[in-house]
Amino acid sequence: MLLPPTDSKIVARRAEIVAALRAIVPDGVVADQSGLATFDADALSAYHQMPLVCVLPSNREQVSEILKYAQAEGIPIVPRGAGTSLSGGALPREDGILIGMGRMKRILEIDYENGCVTVEPGVTNLNITKAVEAQGFYYAPDPSSQIACTIGGNVGENSGGLHCLKYGLTTNNLLGVTFVLPSGEIVTLGGKCGAQGGLDLLGLVTGSEGLLGMVVEVVVKILRKAPVTRTLLASFDSVPAAGACVAAIIADGVVPAAMEFMDRRAAEAIEDFNQPGYPKGAEGILIIDADGVEADVTHAVSRVIDIVAHCGGRTVEATDEKQRARIWSGRKAAFAAMGRLAPDMICMDGTIPRHALPQVLEEMAQLSDHYGLGCCNVFHAGDGNLHPLILFDVMKDGDFEKAEAFGADILRLCVKVGGVLSGEHGIGIEKRDLMTDQFGPNDLEQQHRVKCAFDSGGLFNPGKVFPTLSACVEQGHIHVHGAQLPHPHLPRY
Amino acid sequence: MSRIDNDNQLVDFVRAARESRAPFEIVAGGTRRGVGRPVGDLPMLDVSGLCGIIKYEPEELIVTARPSTPLAEINAVLAEKNQRLGFDPADWSRLLGSNGVATLAGVASCDASGSGKLRHGGARDSLLGFHAVNGLGETFRAGSKVVKNVTGFDLPKLVCGAHGTLAVLTELTFRVYPRPSHLVVLCLSDVTPETGFAALRKIAHSPLEPAGLAYLPASMMAEVGQGAALIKLEGASRPLEEKVALAHGLLGSVMQRIDGDPFASIGCGDRFADIAGDIWRIFLAPSDAPRVAKEIAATHWLGDWAGGVLWIAAPPSDAARIRAIAAAAQGQAMLLRASAESRAALGLFAPQPPALAALNKAVKAAFDPLSLFNPNRL
Repeated sequence: MLLPPTDSKIVARRAEIVAALRAIVPDGVVADQSGLATFDADALSAYHQMPLVCVLPSNREQVSEILKYAQAEGIPIVPRGAGTSLSGGALPREDGILIGMGRMKRILEIDYENGCVTVEPGVTNLNITKAVEAQGFYYAPDPSSQIACTIGGNVGENSGGLHCLKYGLTTNNLLGVTFVLPSGEIVTLGGKCGAQGGLDLLGLVTGSEGLLGMVVEVVVKILRKAPVTRTLLASFDSVPAAGACVAAIIADGVVPAAMEFMDRRAAEAIEDFNQPGYPKGAEGILIIDADGVEADVTHAVSRVIDIVAHCGGRTVEATDEKQRARIWSGRKAAFAAMGRLAPDMICMDGTIPRHALPQVLEEMAQLSDHYGLGCCNVFHAGDGNLHPLILFDVMKDGDFEKAEAFGADILRLCVKVGGVLSGEHGIGIEKRDLMTDQFGPNDLEQQHRVKCAFDSGGLFNPGKVFPTLSACVEQGHIHVHGAQLPHPHLPRY
Repeated sequence: MSRIDNDNQLVDFVRAARESRAPFEIVAGGTRRGVGRPVGDLPMLDVSGLCGIIKYEPEELIVTARPSTPLAEINAVLAEKNQRLGFDPADWSRLLGSNGVATLAGVASCDASGSGKLRHGGARDSLLGFHAVNGLGETFRAGSKVVKNVTGFDLPKLVCGAHGTLAVLTELTFRVYPRPSHLVVLCLSDVTPETGFAALRKIAHSPLEPAGLAYLPASMMAEVGQGAALIKLEGASRPLEEKVALAHGLLGSVMQRIDGDPFASIGCGDRFADIAGDIWRIFLAPSDAPRVAKEIAATHWLGDWAGGVLWIAAPPSDAARIRAIAAAAQGQAMLLRASAESRAALGLFAPQPPALAALNKAVKAAFDPLSLFNPNRL
């Protein structure tokens, strides 16, 4: 994975840059090597890079001042929440300022009348729910890292979770953000009224992976917790039967709160790991949650049981909260369980049309044979979000490269069947070079022009998301990495 | 008026317009030409030939169609599979006095979301992907045809509500939702705006997943005393009865049921079609709705989305006052129906702060640098 080349002139100015940042944030500059080591990677841990310097602002004015300084001096910026990105979105740069938002973690207002909460970006996803759960509310998007990941990072990545089919991604649960542009100017996009009086820039910056500016305040919707949740475990003798069941449930009009698929290998690894009681020998397992008021849930559960039977499956229902938790404990421990199958693993993330699941699993098995690496699958079946786990041993020569190539082939397969490279982890550096598989030159150029409307200097998170973004004019010349630019006809300005 | 019937003709047209720097107005059904600043005396591009459903996949919860597909056609096709667009696409043609045909692209471009926005979000939450031609005369696409996608910038959000100022759409993919088999509309009669909106917010923040929550004063609905809070619930027949009982319990009163679906004429503004004056939609934090309504003191008004939007009919002389009241409440006042002169003077929304206005302009230029598409409309 190539990043835009380091600007050695910036690196040479390190002491001066550290001093300038200390003048802005006297108590929040990390410049010593041991301190910086904490920030040298995010959750895509195969990639490490020490930042030039890390600054931890504690208010929006400081963020604005930092950005004005960086803009004036032409220094790259990498925004960071809690560093839980699985796609390398917060991977630092040797010549860049890493801005960590972890100190801005105040909950500013809880407004039950309007069903919303205003927070600083460093508040963790789970802490929003914790702040309101005593009143029976919660914040719906629940990425697996919710205990650690910050809401600012969630906005940057448009994070999802298990319950997206019914409750949406981050973008569907946001009312507004306060955003600092690369120029240091502060703009408010949306708010409690949910309207912006112009283009939907709130929708644009959500999921922009730190390429457009910094989030310094967030207004999220909160929802009333459903009074009843019931969980079903359905098992099938074949993957196509499980796939047909998912389609039939959707076609019937049931919208489950969650619907998770596991293939046989995943289910057996999980069963060995923490014995959640998954049936042995099933080729496909579904965990289905229905939530809402009791009457709706009763109706949904009876429909699902009928449909599963019609599709040749068997259903077991969790009879109490303890059993419900046990069934979910397996799914939630999936990565840990798979981790016992091989020394290393990478977790991929793509979305496919649900009907393509049997075909994708079949072709993935062929790829697994081709690369000689194991693979198992968990799948947010409700919304078609696939998480293949590729097993390898980093100590074996060439295994990591093979695993990466295998992963890339899986994502190309997702695109081939009509899906996308990422359902919730983002592109970052991990999938950057695959963007040309999903998008054509015109598509990428259009996105690139939008990027430049915010960040004409190309200073924000360079080298992430777009294979060609480093070609934004930087001090009068164009960086070229690798042998050539993938889109030689891109406009340069 | 020029007409194009396929993407190639569209590309040729835009390239020629670019060569001659000749801006134009994009028209499909023409029902929303009276929204926003008048574009002036410009040639029209008729895109109504880009019409028809390309693919409807009920089991994937998506429908892909050409932009000028009539809304009525989409609604009918989805209804056959017991599905619908979740945001209650709003056909403003009666309100705006148009006899044209409301289209899918018109709905998307205006983010014209009806009462259902409360439950499933607006048009912007349902538009998953699109194909279009930008102001450089290049075809491009963005988003996807799956319901969960974070690949690249979310440009579908941008074209929703851009009023055709960024690109000429050529294909749209929407997420669809199941259509529940039954609905009940409950009416809490003879309540003040304060009491009515408070009841609506209580239901909004309950687990009942309401499909519509509106307050109508006596001037907008007969035989409801001072006014009525309307609550629309949906579901399968038996569970729905239990939800009705829960709603009664939550509000501590037994409400009467209303025949039909009054929300069908609320979300699209039909109730204001025959009322004189400018028509405003004011977006607010819901709890501000009764106070703002009282301050504006219009005769004809109503509140939808539990107070998240007020519809107001007011004389043109009230414009500055209404904008000021909305701004003081940190809301946004959208001038939906007014004379061409008023729309030219007032714009669709109040002017934005300078930094935000400059950013909007830069983003517009990223799609349409010569401002060929519907200039000045937004």
